[in-house]
Amino acid sequence: MVGNRIVSAPTLSPRSLRHRRRCRSFEFRPSLPPTTYSLRPTPRRLRPPAGSPVSPELIAMAAVELKNQLNAHIASMFAAGFLDKQFQELQMLQDDGSSPGFVSEVVGLFIDDAEKITGLIAGLLDQPVVDFDKVDALVHQLKGSSASVGAQRVKLSCEQFHSYYEAKNRDGCVMALALLRNEFYDSRSKFQTMFQLEQQIEACS
Amino acid sequence: MVSNAHGSPVKALLVEDIAVCTFVLSAMLRRFNCEIGVANNGKEAVDFFLDGKKFDIVLCDKDMPIMSGPEAVEKIRALGETDVMIVGVSADDNAMEAFMNAGADVFVHKPMKLETLGTMIQEVINKKNAMI
Repeated sequence: MVGNRIVSAPTLSPRSLRHRRRCRSFEFRPSLPPTTYSLRPTPRRLRPPAGSPVSPELIAMAAVELKNQLNAHIASMFAAGFLDKQFQELQMLQDDGSSPGFVSEVVGLFIDDAEKITGLIAGLLDQPVVDFDKVDALVHQLKGSSASVGAQRVKLSCEQFHSYYEAKNRDGCVMALALLRNEFYDSRSKFQTMFQLEQQIEACS
Repeated sequence: MVSNAHGSPVKALLVEDIAVCTFVLSAMLRRFNCEIGVANNGKEAVDFFLDGKKFDIVLCDKDMPIMSGPEAVEKIRALGETDVMIVGVSADDNAMEAFMNAGADVFVHKPMKLETLGTMIQEVINKKNAMI
């Protein structure tokens, strides 16, 4: 602003801009023919203008890389005991093409179920008198559900729980529940990473 | 490969209270083009038969609210349903004896494998075809 008047800055023509750039960042490179001069690149990363299409080749390369990451992630889940062969049964049911998204849907059901069940067990163990039959029924339910999706560590934690509620040992059950929850949270985190990678792969297609 | 030479789908009843297990077993049965009925406990399964519904195969969990699997199997057989193949399914190691004493034909440890189910479905189909 100048005084009370708003004064717009003088517009620079493209020709004058190019001249300014040449004067500011000129560099002679002997490797090039003498009549060719290159400009030192500006510090800013050059990006394509917004909305410009990314090449299909780049997208395909990204998809391949993401698939490799997904396969490596799933392999590590098997190696670390998070998954067992039942998960491969689920993948077979999905891979025949008739049920895309089947694995993510059933694992999502399992995660919701497990969250609800562990909460209910915690509530039961918090009561003055613990109903161990109900605890038994809930742990049994979680064991069945984790076995059906191949969530091996959660299933094994449920099996370890058994001896404590059989013995009507509240403190033992509290400890077993803490271990079960840890295994469930770790498994849930691994599944979430798996599905994030799948979504990114889907976005590339 | 499961084949059904005469085209009619196998009618399967799934008796299971755990939603995840129902979801997975239903998907497996659909893979074999079965018509699927679902009961959430033993009593609902018996009610299906009392209503006159017919099934070729029943997949039955053991521990369920209201009525257990073995109890339901016993009642279904008592209704004169001797042709239906009844499969007891459980993660419980002690479940086999309870199911077989109740009148089940087969016991399978949970989780059921696709290949195992396929073999049983084919057996049902062969039996149906032989009766025609």
